[in-house]
Amino acid sequence: MFFHIVLERNMQLHPRHFGRNLREHIISKLMKDVEGTCSGRHGFVVAITSVENIGKGLIRDGTGFVTFPVKYQCVVFRPFKGEILEAVVSMVNKMGFFAEAGPVQIFVSNHLIPDDMEFQSGDMPNYTTSDGSVKIQKDSEVRLKIIGTRVDATEIDKNISQSRPKWDPAGSHPSRFFCIGTIKDDFLGVINDPTTI
Amino acid sequence: MLYCAEVSLGTDNCPHPGSLGGMCYRCGKRLEEESGVTFSYICKGLRLGNDEIDRLRNTDMKHLLRHRKLYLILDLDHTLLNSTLLLHLTPEEDYLKSQADSLQDVSKGSLFMLAFMNMMTKLRPFVHTFLKEASEMFEMYIYTMGDRPYALEMAKLLDPSREYFNARVISRDDGTQRHQKGLDVVLGQESAVLILDDTENAWTKHRDNLILMERYHFFASSCRQFGYHCQSLSQLRSDESELEGALASVLKVLKRIHNIFFDELANDLAGRDVRQVLKMVRGEVLKGCKLVFSHVFPTKFPADTHYLWKMAEQLGATCSIELDPSVTHVVSTDARTEKSRWAAKEAKFLVDPRWIETANFLWQRQPEENFPVQQTKPEENFHAKQMKDQ
Repeated sequence: MFFHIVLERNMQLHPRHFGRNLREHIISKLMKDVEGTCSGRHGFVVAITSVENIGKGLIRDGTGFVTFPVKYQCVVFRPFKGEILEAVVSMVNKMGFFAEAGPVQIFVSNHLIPDDMEFQSGDMPNYTTSDGSVKIQKDSEVRLKIIGTRVDATEIDKNISQSRPKWDPAGSHPSRFFCIGTIKDDFLGVINDPTTI
Repeated sequence: MLYCAEVSLGTDNCPHPGSLGGMCYRCGKRLEEESGVTFSYICKGLRLGNDEIDRLRNTDMKHLLRHRKLYLILDLDHTLLNSTLLLHLTPEEDYLKSQADSLQDVSKGSLFMLAFMNMMTKLRPFVHTFLKEASEMFEMYIYTMGDRPYALEMAKLLDPSREYFNARVISRDDGTQRHQKGLDVVLGQESAVLILDDTENAWTKHRDNLILMERYHFFASSCRQFGYHCQSLSQLRSDESELEGALASVLKVLKRIHNIFFDELANDLAGRDVRQVLKMVRGEVLKGCKLVFSHVFPTKFPADTHYLWKMAEQLGATCSIELDPSVTHVVSTDARTEKSRWAAKEAKFLVDPRWIETANFLWQRQPEENFPVQQTKPEENFHAKQMKDQ
């Protein structure tokens, strides 16, 4: 689920940036550092919407660096147990299927797929009802319920900006959230068949 | 602003069949103790309980039998390919570096330079055809004692479009025991599994499922590793025969076994056992032969425990210590022994022990005239060579 919250962060700045562009620099550094990171408590920071306040800078003893406390508003995303989500199927195998909703990866085991759906192996492995009317395969959109969550919260190293997860439906990045889901309840399941227009 | 809802499954009476990421995948509960068997090659972090493994084995088996398929576990090193570290290449093998096939399209190639792993890999002749035809009869697994990165790289060479193995690549990181391979990490019933491996000792618990392959020594380092001082195929600028080599021979055997299992057995599909078919097919190779051994094992040695005796019996021959008119073959390493001379006098076959071993690898009785017994004592003692193999 998405939330719009206020967070605070201490930004450390090198003196070379002191000048008339100080505020812009703090904000752009904040965005570079924070957007795309993930914390266990707040979740995945999607985007910073505004900067509420930049406090007085404090010079660090012994170095020339200055620390600015920055209060900012941002949109965060965090899955919760019991939450109902829409996700895109990324992989199907005989154990169940994996689906992704942004930085969240959900596994739905075949125990939690309706009994009338059977696994079909082949080039495009899928789960299909006996009459073939409903099919779950890669790129299908499904509505599922989360029944367990796990957060791999890691502060992204500022020096390794490439490792920041991007929005990637194919899921090639390591997910920050991993969840167990189900589609066995009412109104859950496929919401969009990728084979039809 | 927390949103809570009832979880549809009570977490208390859930049998926790398996977990992913430390959470039961049936009820979502965080599982503290790590129970069950890890199946990381299917999904990273997947653990399955014994009941679930049985259930999956059962459903998978029914699914496969319906598609007329059995399981085939394939070893990599010396069975389907031969790898060497670049620093182990001899000067005579340097020519290989310029002959390596492109890594862009591996489907036609057989010799690959994997500089990023500091090694070269040569695929065994006939392997592409073998995999294609075997995949129609078997669901195939790779099971290697190499580590997972190695296993996955080799899988990419053998199966670039992931149609043969998909995720079924088991490495030593997936096994439950250190120096043993086991079927406990295979989601298939033991009665439907065949194994192709060059190392018998890796499968002590599943000897009945094993088809032993003759080792593929392409690189000099491979020969040295097993104590052979002969020149390797690469040094001789030669290779195993494509159409008459080990893979082609074993493919014929697999087709035969598959055919018998699905078309000739009378009982219920679920009750059939591929191990029995294997035993039966093996027992036809030397059917009708009665063997006596001479100068093959020491006099006081309990003959029927010798591996050659047991191998011959598995191949369908009867073995005896005493000579009599019903004996058909004398297996000897010295043509001057009493028994050897008896064979020559009585016009019985006199063969070197390799006649039995070759029959074992090629699943066919070999022409006896191709395995004459040495007139003089051979340079390297036959047993010493075999001892190194064990």
